Order: sequence, then structure tokens, then C-alpha cells
Amino acid sequence: MDDRLRETLSAMMDDEADELSVRRLLSHHDQARVRAQWQRWQQVRDLMHSGHTPAEGVDVSTHVRAALDGRSGSARQRTSAKGISPAARWRWPAVAMVAVALVVGFGAGAGWDSREDSAATGAPEMAAQSFPDKDAAAAPVREVALQGLDKEQWEQMSQYLLEHAQHNSVGAGRGAVGYARVVSAGNGY
Amino acid sequence: MTQANLAMAEKLASTSGKTGKPSMTPEQNQTQGEHSDSQTDLQLVRKVRNGDRAAFDLLVVKYQTRVASIISRYVYDSQEVMDLTQETFVKAYRAIDRFRGDSAFYTWLYRIAVNTAKNFLESRGRRPQASADVSDAENFDDGIRLRDQASPERLLQRDQLQEELSRAITELPEELRSAFLLREYDGLSYEDIAKILECPIGTVRSRIFRARDAVDRHLGPLLNHTETT
Repeated sequence: MDDRLRETLSAMMDDEADELSVRRLLSHHDQARVRAQWQRWQQVRDLMHSGHTPAEGVDVSTHVRAALDGRSGSARQRTSAKGISPAARWRWPAVAMVAVALVVGFGAGAGWDSREDSAATGAPEMAAQSFPDKDAAAAPVREVALQGLDKEQWEQMSQYLLEHAQHNSVGAGRGAVGYARVVSAGNGY
Repeated sequence: MTQANLAMAEKLASTSGKTGKPSMTPEQNQTQGEHSDSQTDLQLVRKVRNGDRAAFDLLVVKYQTRVASIISRYVYDSQEVMDLTQETFVKAYRAIDRFRGDSAFYTWLYRIAVNTAKNFLESRGRRPQASADVSDAENFDDGIRLRDQASPERLLQRDQLQEELSRAITELPEELRSAFLLREYDGLSYEDIAKILECPIGTVRSRIFRARDAVDRHLGPLLNHTETT
């Protein structure tokens, strides 16, 4: 770090550095040295003004960096327990709900329009029986393959996904009822 | 500094409530709060918002002692003070987008520190003993509590450092010392110092830097020593 940059850092200590100089300083390749110099001058200032020596003072900067980098740190552990944002709290339930909606909606649609196929394979008809009997429950769930859809099913599937996306973009997070359940009752998917 | 300049310095200093004569006792030198440093802080905050972690590092280093002192008004265990200081900065970093700049960055940080300390006490079923108002932020004597917690050995180290600091300042060339003290103890801007010393602002800037550098070199070995003890 040359004297010019150090002079800029000194001016920053006094709130007298312009933005361009600050930018130049912060883009210096050796930030550890910048930080070390800044810290030493702050220590001298602390000593001059409040009588703190570095030993009785505080240096949490390393721990703060570690915590922000996701490494260990006692404060990090405490904040991670309490400091989860509401958005983060709802993220996984929302993903799960959409996934379930897709599976249920897609399965229901595929089931209604492929009764003949399902009768042939012995798969349970979900639309016909809301509470499947023991045999049906014991039977393996048929794997739904997109390749097996005919043209009409493809159109229904596309329409479903489009409406689902629209529903999500308009009312995301507001309703508690999954989209698939709403359209199952209303549109006859 | 000429007699006229000294007289002007004292006049300027008296308007800011200072004697213009530096003293080495910390209790008489609570001018740090007068260094609002708002411009630099805002520049750094802008950098942090753009993802510059190094800028946040500088803010942490700058304010960590003051934040720890605020928290030590509520929490007396030194390890808990360190943990809560750390937590305060982590919270500040995560909420930096919510800092609107209506108040000084330090005032905003002060609020986070107070709330962090209070929440901690409540989580432990303890009622906060101290109370702090935002208006205290600028006037808060950040030295008292931490100094009270210092061990006799550290008190001795502090005395040695204070002595060396006095010596380092005394040994500075006159023009460097004047600029440095007018800045550090009287909190004057470079522009005001330039008027007093009758020199360009660039010269003031350079003198203060050289003074700071000389003091740092003088105290360097001692600072390194006390850091590791």
C-alpha cells in the first residue's frame, strides 16, 4: 500500500475522503493491509479519546466475517435460530405445496382421461373413488409419464400449468388452499 | 503556528466547547462523538449494499469498541458483551438495506445494539437495568464501562501507552502536531484547519497523515504487544 492510498485512508478517518478515493482504496488488491492500517489508526484514536488500549478493547471483526461467511461463531448460532426471515420460513412449505399441487392435479387429470388405460393396467381411479379400498391402497402407484399423454391430455396439461403459473404470480402466498384443489373442484381437471 | 493563528484556534475551539489544549486524560476528551463521520460512513454503507464486504469490515473495526461499550451498560459478562457485539454487527449487515440514511449510521447501529442487548436479557428472563435513549448515541461515554472492567495489568499497560502517546505527540514537528491536534481533539474540518494554519487543504491532509503515521510507528511495538497479551 503506497503513501497515497494511506493518505486517503487517513482522510477517511477524518471524513474528508471523496468517493472516488474511497472506491480506489476499497478496490486495492491487499484489503488485509488496508484493514490492518485502519485498525491501528482506530486503536490510536480510541486511546486518545476514550483511553482504550487494544488489549482491553474489542476485536470482533474476525468473528463477524466468519459469521457472515457462514463459518462458526457464537453470535451466528444465536442469530441463526432467531433471525430467520419470514420469506425464508415460508420458502420450503411453499415449494412443497406447489409440488403436491402439481402431482395431485396432474395425477387427477391423467386419471380421468385415461380410464381405459388405467383399467387395463389396474391402476386406481382417483376420480371415481375418493377413499380407495384396501386392495387399491396396496396396489403400486402408477408412475405418470409425460410421454404417454395424447394430444388432448397435452393441451389440458399445458392449460393447467399456465393457469397454475398465473395463479401463483397473482396470489402467491395469499391463499391457503392449493391451486390444484381449487381447479379440481371448479374446472373439472 | 503563529500567535495570531493560535488565538484563532482557541477562538474556534472555544465555540465548540473545547479548550484547544490537548490533555491526555480520556475523561476530558470525549470528542469522538463529535466526529460524525457521516460522509465516510455513507460511502461505506453504499459499498456494503453493493456487496463489498471489505467496506463493512472497516465499519466494524471503526465502531466495535463503541458498540461493545453500549452493550456493556446492559450486560456485565465480558464474553456475553463480545458475543452480543458480534451479533449486533451481523444483524446490521443483514439489515443494511433498511438503513435509509435518515440518521447517522452510528445512531442506527446504536439502536440495533441496544435492542440486541435488551432482547438477550429478556430471553434470559432478566429485566434490563440500564436504559439508553437514541439521543445518548452521540454523547455516550464509551470508555467508562470497559475501563471499569480492565484488570490492574491492563491498567498499567494503558498508562504506558498513554505515556508513549504523549511522547509521540510531543516529538512531532510543530506543523504536524498542530494539524493533528486540531483535528483529533478539536474535531475541526480540514478546511478550518487550513484557515487557521494558513495553508492549502492538501497540505493539512498530508500533515495529518504524516503525524498519524509517525504516532503509529512510535506506538506500533506497544500496540502489537498489548494486542497479544
